[in-house]
Amino acid sequence: MEKLFALTPYIPLFPLLAFALIVLWANKNNKLSAGLAIAGLGLSTIISWLIAIATIVGGEHVQVEGWSLTIPWLPTGTGVFNMGFAVDGFTAAMLFMVPFVSSLIFIYASEYMEGDSRYARFFAYVSLFVSGMLTLVVADNLLLLFIAWEIMGLCSYLLIGFWFEKDSAKKAGLKAFLTTRVGDVLFFGGMLLLYSQTGTLTFREIFTPAVLERLAEATIWGQPASVVISLLIFGGAVGKSAQFPLHVWLPDAMEGPTPVSAMIHAATMVSAGVYLVARMLPLFAVVPVGSLQWVAIIGAITAFFGATIGIAQNDIKRVLAYSTISQLGYMMIGLGLGGFLAGIFHLLTHSFFKALLFLGSGSVIHAMEHGAHHAHDHETDPQDMMNMGGLANRMKKTYIAYMAGTLALVGIVPFAGFFSKDEILAEAWHQAGGFNFGSIAFWAWLAGLLGAFVTALYMGRQIGLVFLGKPRTKLAEHAVEPGKRMTYPLLVLGFFALTLGFINIPKNVPIIGNGWLHEFAGLIYESTEVLNLEALPLNWGLAGVATIIGLAGFFGGIALYRGHQAGQSDPMVKLLGRPLFTLLKNKYYVDEFYFAVIINPVVKLANFAGKFDYDWVINPIVNFVGNTGKWLSIVSGEFDRVVVDGLGVLGTARFFRWMGKELRYTQTGQVQNYLLVIALVSLSLVGAYLFGLGF
Amino acid sequence: MNTFMLLLPETILLVFAFALLALDLIWKPRSNTLAIIMLTGALVTLAATIFVWMQANNGVIQLAVISTDGAGAVPMLAMDRFAMFFKVYAALTVALVGLLATDYVREKIRYPGEFYALMLFAGLALMLVASSTNLVMIFLAFEFLSITSYLLTGFMRNDAFSIEAALKYFLYGAVASAVMLLGFSLIYGATGSLDLHGIATGIRSSDPSIIHVLAIPAIVLIIVGLGFKIALVPFHQWSPEAYQGAPTPVTAFLSVGPKASGFALMVRVLTVAFPAFARTANTDWVLILTGIAIITMTFGNVVAIWQKNIKRLFAYSSIAQAGYMLIGVIAIAPQFVGGVPPIEGWDQGLNGLLLFLFGYLFTNLGSFAIILAVENKTGSSSVEQFNGLVKRAPYLSIAFVIFLLSLIGIPPTAGFIGKLLVFGAAIKQQMYVLAAIGLFNSVISVYYYLGIARKMFFSPAEDTTPIPVSRSLNFVVTISMVLVLAIAIGAQPFLDWVSGSTQILATVF
Repeated sequence: MEKLFALTPYIPLFPLLAFALIVLWANKNNKLSAGLAIAGLGLSTIISWLIAIATIVGGEHVQVEGWSLTIPWLPTGTGVFNMGFAVDGFTAAMLFMVPFVSSLIFIYASEYMEGDSRYARFFAYVSLFVSGMLTLVVADNLLLLFIAWEIMGLCSYLLIGFWFEKDSAKKAGLKAFLTTRVGDVLFFGGMLLLYSQTGTLTFREIFTPAVLERLAEATIWGQPASVVISLLIFGGAVGKSAQFPLHVWLPDAMEGPTPVSAMIHAATMVSAGVYLVARMLPLFAVVPVGSLQWVAIIGAITAFFGATIGIAQNDIKRVLAYSTISQLGYMMIGLGLGGFLAGIFHLLTHSFFKALLFLGSGSVIHAMEHGAHHAHDHETDPQDMMNMGGLANRMKKTYIAYMAGTLALVGIVPFAGFFSKDEILAEAWHQAGGFNFGSIAFWAWLAGLLGAFVTALYMGRQIGLVFLGKPRTKLAEHAVEPGKRMTYPLLVLGFFALTLGFINIPKNVPIIGNGWLHEFAGLIYESTEVLNLEALPLNWGLAGVATIIGLAGFFGGIALYRGHQAGQSDPMVKLLGRPLFTLLKNKYYVDEFYFAVIINPVVKLANFAGKFDYDWVINPIVNFVGNTGKWLSIVSGEFDRVVVDGLGVLGTARFFRWMGKELRYTQTGQVQNYLLVIALVSLSLVGAYLFGLGF
Repeated sequence: MNTFMLLLPETILLVFAFALLALDLIWKPRSNTLAIIMLTGALVTLAATIFVWMQANNGVIQLAVISTDGAGAVPMLAMDRFAMFFKVYAALTVALVGLLATDYVREKIRYPGEFYALMLFAGLALMLVASSTNLVMIFLAFEFLSITSYLLTGFMRNDAFSIEAALKYFLYGAVASAVMLLGFSLIYGATGSLDLHGIATGIRSSDPSIIHVLAIPAIVLIIVGLGFKIALVPFHQWSPEAYQGAPTPVTAFLSVGPKASGFALMVRVLTVAFPAFARTANTDWVLILTGIAIITMTFGNVVAIWQKNIKRLFAYSSIAQAGYMLIGVIAIAPQFVGGVPPIEGWDQGLNGLLLFLFGYLFTNLGSFAIILAVENKTGSSSVEQFNGLVKRAPYLSIAFVIFLLSLIGIPPTAGFIGKLLVFGAAIKQQMYVLAAIGLFNSVISVYYYLGIARKMFFSPAEDTTPIPVSRSLNFVVTISMVLVLAIAIGAQPFLDWVSGSTQILATVF
């Protein structure tokens, strides 16, 4: 069984191979390209699952110690920089999720993207994207992880801006790239500091007690090194996982094709940030009061504010985008409070049900576009929920699957989100130790609980607006369920949204309690003062409160919106009051704030610098230098032409040509002359020597 | 290893040559059949040479004949690594020239059997020259080589140019041989020895005032004879005519074979027999060679500029190249002062010479393969035929550019490595003027070498029909190109080989 681990390096290889083959060879053939992408990822999925199974059945030895392959990669002054792959319980959990969800998305996309002029290119990009994510998961060191991280950054740019004819898509791609880049720079800085402090970037070597202790004792800018480094690395995660204040790119990333949204939001991109924090958690936790609390604070802010923005959005995908931001905030709360398992459990379940919701929304949009086509109406926005309604009757399968995803997200028993979200809230409650207003954990708990209500509310609103009631436009009237390649992945994901929570039911639940995920993935690090790797029992009271809040929000949302008529004002306006609603609708004006504080000043500064260059100082200097050079070169050119060329080069050339011309005549063709020459030369040489004339 | 095994390559050549003559006489086989036999012979010889080379350790194995005057065994042939280098060279020359000649012989030569047999005989002569250590043997081998060369040059009996060239070559050669023979007799008179080592010993043990009177003219006269073979200015005048008049494959042979033989002999005679005269006042063969090298390079390059016939151009080009190579011989000389064992690095010039020759073999034969392809199609060897060649034969044009770059000495080609070592050796010996003149001449040579490239790529062709390239020519071009590049890019094994070949000369005295 353990021999299987040798296959680990091939996991990212197959999608990479598919990418190369599509780009270099298959790009003219759409079917072949999609086939290659799916086959490549399919192979990866099989290997990943085999490895995941091998890890799960391999017992604690394999799950904690793990397997690793180290390749001496770059000789450095003092040693060798190692690159390599590693698998442990956490990796195995990721390997179960990432390729599987991605391959469902691929299958879905093979129908969804039909008719697109860049169909093959799409599959090349997503293959590279997944390859990046898989590399990231199996990397045994930060540098390889960073490389994979950047590959994903590039792919997200390419895919979000996939329809680059649209100005908004182009801008969104750039925005995603630049915003995450802010985080990447911090991450890279953290990595450099870490390397300078420890001389290694391999996880296993960093997480030895001796190295961690050294990092806690060393100081950078008056702070413990571990705190500075982990905060910088967290900066990378904030960018990638769209945490406040770098969350602004994610909603705009909806400009990409819907399967891309699903990829980014579920299986790949945003998971990478959470994965990074989870992977580096021992470093965060070295100093008890240090960086970890900031993870929780940022997570709590993001979880609550992300959710609230969601209730005021009308674009079906944007609602989900803010939902993702908010759910990532939950994961950060879990990790930030030291609940390693809570964070990664929610990461896993969320990946499934968020992929499901995105693909479901894609299905809805696809149906609406079909309706638009049918009704010859290309003015109405097919993504605006206000234009939908009553789709449940027209799209049964999508509705059922979407409902499953919704219930999982809202956290209704026994759907996946219930267990994972509950674990986070339980962790927070446990850390806070009750109504302890001085504790960060308490406020995080409160934010999570309120966020859960808001989440339920906006999902209820969405269900009500999209699926229930009566069609509000011709588009919705003519919507048609898409084909099998789109609906079946939805149903598969729906199944997992329903059942995935069962893999980690707390042990105190009678009969079905198992704590299974915790056992194989949750114990890979040592517990410390702030890092809690012990499983928490199910807190029945909390679970009950959360469920009631979720149900209330959900049915409240449905009740408010199921009867919504075309042209009516949003009931939420009345409920929240116009100013608050406007604030939420405009996403707390964070984008505007960035424009006012960063982007516009930078543009102004750039303009000023440009003016400085062009009109005022630099250019005149350059021109002066250039003109001087020009005059000098004219003078020296003349000198060259007349003196060097004329007398020197050409003169020399002419001289040798002339010489050759004259010397040709020594070749008279008369052999008598030749023999005379040989005789004279021989005699004169001998004579010169003999009579000591020398040369 | 017994004597027969040591002579295996020579024996094989001889057997095949006679077999060719006999077959031709009895069955009159087709030209191609003869060509195959000849090539087989050449390749077997090459294999045998390599076999013997691997057997020969770095010592001297002398082959001797029993003298009639009761003086005992007289050494005649040395089977050392130095000789083996030139034997490998000779076998390669014969094989490649034979391959390159097949089409030409089929179309134009009336007696292919004799032609191929003579090629093998010429190869045999090359091998014998390389091994000879006795003045008699040297003279015989040298004459053997000359006579086969005369015959090959005049092989086109119906072509007035060919006949004229052969006659001039013969007359000139006869006089040069006579001059050299005079030198030999003088040195025999002075030292009483025909063996090269014996001569060196004799010179050392004689009264300098007497020996100089006889030895110095002898050295000069021997250099004249060698200069003829190598075509050094001013003993070069046979070569433009012979090159132009001879059948083109023979021109190719003359440009590499006898030249290498001449250098082999020059190095052996001067370093083995006359080391004491390398740098003594007024008796300085280094000085003579320096003067010859300078005028050879300059004359060859300058006159080449004006040539309208590509074969004649290559005659002057090969004169100039010989001038560069001569620098390699000159650069070893100062190490020989007073017969003191050579110091570290003495062999750089010599290694350079050997590597230069080896690269030049492929460069020139590759070039001649292209010249032949063009000549076979157009029937002319005028330089004008190369106008717009890139449209007619793109592969040949690109290959030719590589060969021309090698002739100029631009990396990454064999010519560059050869020049680098040779000029580097000169600089190491503080012969700055010589090295500078060599470099200056390289610049002059760019003019006519790249002139051909310019014609191929930028001048419009009058006739744009593609030039057919036979498989044999294509093979020669390709293998030459590969080696020209390989010698430069993977120089180390070749360097090891040549320096292994020259070590023997250091142990001689």
